[in-house]
Amino acid sequence: MRTRLKGGRVLDPANGENGVASGAVRDIEIEDGRIVAATDRKADAEYDLGGAVVMAGGIDLHSHIAGGKMNLARLLMQEDRKAFPEMPGNFCGCGGGRAAPTAHATGCRYAELGYTTVFEPAMVGANARGAHLEMADIPNLDTGAYLVLGNDDFFLRLLAAGAHQETVNAYVGWMIEATQAFAIKIVNPGGINAFKFNARRMELDEANPYYGVTPRKVLTTLIRAVTELGLPHPIHLHGCNLGVPGNDETTLATIRAAEGRRLHLTHLQFHSYGTEGDKRFSSSAARIAELVNANPNISVDVGQVMFGQTVTASADYMSQYRNRAIASPNKSIGMDIELDAACGVVPFEYKDKSFVNALQWAIGLELFLLVEDPWRIFLTTDHPNGGPFTTYPHLIRLLMDRDFRNAQLATLNKAAQKHTMLPQITREYSLEEIAILTRAAPARILGLTDKGHLGPGAVADIAVHTEDADREAMFSTTRMVFKNGRLIVKDGVVVELAQGTTHVARPTFDRAIDTDMQRWFDESVGLKAQHFRIADGELRNGAGPTILTCERGEG
Amino acid sequence: MAEVRTIENVACGFCGLACDDLTVEVEGREVRAKAGPGGTVCPEAARLFRRLDTADAVARVAGEVTSQADAASEAHRLLTAATSPVIAGMGTDMTGAGALVDLAIRFGGVLDHHASMGLFRNYAAVQRTGWLASTLAEVRNHCDLLLVVGEDPTANWGRLFEKFYPATPLFATGERRVVFLGGTPGEKARRQLAGITLSELPGAPVEVLEALALLVSGRTPPQATIGGLPLAEVAALAEALRGSKYAVVTWNAAALDDGDLVAERATALVDALNVTTRAGVFPLGGTDNLMGVNQLMLWRLGYPLRTLVSGQGSAHDGTLYATEAALKDADVMVWVSAFRPEPPPSFTGKVIALAHPDTVFETEPDVVIPVGTPGIDHAGTVFRMDSIVSMPLGALRVATLPSVAEAVRRIAEG
Repeated sequence: MRTRLKGGRVLDPANGENGVASGAVRDIEIEDGRIVAATDRKADAEYDLGGAVVMAGGIDLHSHIAGGKMNLARLLMQEDRKAFPEMPGNFCGCGGGRAAPTAHATGCRYAELGYTTVFEPAMVGANARGAHLEMADIPNLDTGAYLVLGNDDFFLRLLAAGAHQETVNAYVGWMIEATQAFAIKIVNPGGINAFKFNARRMELDEANPYYGVTPRKVLTTLIRAVTELGLPHPIHLHGCNLGVPGNDETTLATIRAAEGRRLHLTHLQFHSYGTEGDKRFSSSAARIAELVNANPNISVDVGQVMFGQTVTASADYMSQYRNRAIASPNKSIGMDIELDAACGVVPFEYKDKSFVNALQWAIGLELFLLVEDPWRIFLTTDHPNGGPFTTYPHLIRLLMDRDFRNAQLATLNKAAQKHTMLPQITREYSLEEIAILTRAAPARILGLTDKGHLGPGAVADIAVHTEDADREAMFSTTRMVFKNGRLIVKDGVVVELAQGTTHVARPTFDRAIDTDMQRWFDESVGLKAQHFRIADGELRNGAGPTILTCERGEG
Repeated sequence: MAEVRTIENVACGFCGLACDDLTVEVEGREVRAKAGPGGTVCPEAARLFRRLDTADAVARVAGEVTSQADAASEAHRLLTAATSPVIAGMGTDMTGAGALVDLAIRFGGVLDHHASMGLFRNYAAVQRTGWLASTLAEVRNHCDLLLVVGEDPTANWGRLFEKFYPATPLFATGERRVVFLGGTPGEKARRQLAGITLSELPGAPVEVLEALALLVSGRTPPQATIGGLPLAEVAALAEALRGSKYAVVTWNAAALDDGDLVAERATALVDALNVTTRAGVFPLGGTDNLMGVNQLMLWRLGYPLRTLVSGQGSAHDGTLYATEAALKDADVMVWVSAFRPEPPPSFTGKVIALAHPDTVFETEPDVVIPVGTPGIDHAGTVFRMDSIVSMPLGALRVATLPSVAEAVRRIAEG
């Protein structure tokens, strides 16, 4: 099957091509789901793009799309489901919800925005099989999941016993393989575990009440593990003290703790709070952005807050237990999970007239605009925690259009307006930078060499947008989306459903750990290790995963 | 004589506890489950795993033996003509559940599971206030005080206390206490709880739980007796709960007439405890993959069980779309029970049964399609009662009956 997209302005930062700036148009040719060099052979299908902007399909490296906590969110957010019923073009009665959409709605809404790959950033090992079953029911998207480690009792016991790094590496490798994960996420390093022993807060250098291990030790050990196992994505860190004013110091110390090794700080906005001013809540975006700029080993995503009703779902039960006091509506779910991790689900409404919420909004934008390298910052709302992913077009306009941004700011809480430097920031993102943030850079930080670009050999996941000075309008209605070369969205509407794949990473590790794991599961967890492990055939209705084989790296 | 094959570490998908250490002997078509090394086998698992070398049950239409294909096309015809089907029972694995949701999308219909009563009693609390919960491995290792509300759950979950109380817990290494509130541990529970400090409080659960929540918050109820118990006894338990490191409250809402109130009060008690110490609820339930089917409903439709799919949309109502209520307005019932020979509820409309081969029907259904059992005849996945852990079930013998998923696909194709 040969498909030709004719006459598009190709925006492909990974290959240094910017048809938007040059005005040059060219064709893109697809053969059997992959992009190939142009030929003069007859195509089975041709699409005239008429000078529209052509980019690789969007990649979201941090969006909560599957797993038990999302079902708990759905359970708590029945009003959200009712308020956002099925939309036309869904092909079934499965679509609905905004803050906590169904699997089907997730796949359809993302595709409509030009996204074709999304990673679930907090898969708990005990719940991994369920998360994979759920991901298989998300149409149109390739997916993958980061395994939550760093609060698991097996690991903390290893650290407390002073185990050799090789043993830790073997354990991490075993867990990645067993749960069919793509990367390692740390959520509140050691803090979720400490909460099980009734600690309510954990600082970076505070000892776990049971194991005596510090979050710093958890972090540095796991950074070494993923480096030495050769996992493509660095440790994906949700740091200590999420949402706590004064967590700026923790964040700065965390960046320094990486000591030059690669580290990804996720939803940085929630970790950039100072304590200045009469309300003891202030922006530390400038200080943090400065340190991020100075440390090329650090990458971040923002977790932008967008106003309106949403639901926050996190493995960080310690923080979410604190947040349940401000739940809106006033209900929440928490759960300690299987010597493994935990979860906390708290509905929340971000209000533009609230000082704190308005400043959170401003802090997120400050981070976007002050972090200089677009290859090291990613566009996220931490869906649904800062806001649903469907707000991305609005967020893109906020980044690209200073007048629009300042006009929005002028409508917010007055005191918050005085506490942000946003009006002084003149930067406006270019289309090329947006393409980097949402395609090229995530592919690079995830090690997906055949995604995020439009060169020969790339997967033919392609988004076509008609240029519009109103960038929100431009990104709200995608003219065409191709998944593996097949047209799935036309003029903003899903026209066909595609079955995606799930990306997993496969490191090599010392399999002698298997005996220890069997004993651990038998004696402590109370189920068999062999049943914890997920077979390839359990993914994607038997199709199995797309495997990225890891090359062992140097410690 | 067929050779006896012995398979170890077999997982069980029946009661929701998801034991996975059974030893199973397979001899031709025969299947027998036994205790695995160092474990036990509960009577329910032994009974439900047992298969004899008998001829397979066959498909029937109006009581007449027919082929699977003809039964499927008759079911298709009935569903095509139906105006308001109910898909009930839903005792099936994850693939079967997905197929049933697809069936509802195709023909319309209400979806409910035969064991959803307890789930919705619990949801009375969850959806109003939420709750703070725990899972099996946490209870096993952290819990130093377990409050069991209502009757001894061992009758339904034969190995519950065996799973809760391993020989060497990681953290709860001091005294471990179990208090039965409004129930008495039976012989078997006592055996499994050897070495655990047991006590019984024969009080009315709802009143006692409510008073406990007050007491642990530092307030004193005005009454001298609480649910039939002297205040001092309830206060002593409150003190023990406050002093515990990790308390857990467990109950089976399905077996308690006021299960919704128990869930609500237990939730409030655990909320109160978590202010100063750690605690969690551990609601019991989850038979026949109830939790898995419910999980799938939530991610597929955005609603839990008791949801109507109609046209291009769906709607949820925990009362209106409960099986018994929904059947009052229905013209066709699709009854699905692959785990056990559970007969369908009585119904005057047309009945299509995707049934365990040993099912004894009070009234012959219009269509009977015998189906295999996940974990015996074919592989499948089921969820444990906590909705977090799921278990891969393997096939123990060559399948001669279709799975629910296969049977439903044939019906959909007609």
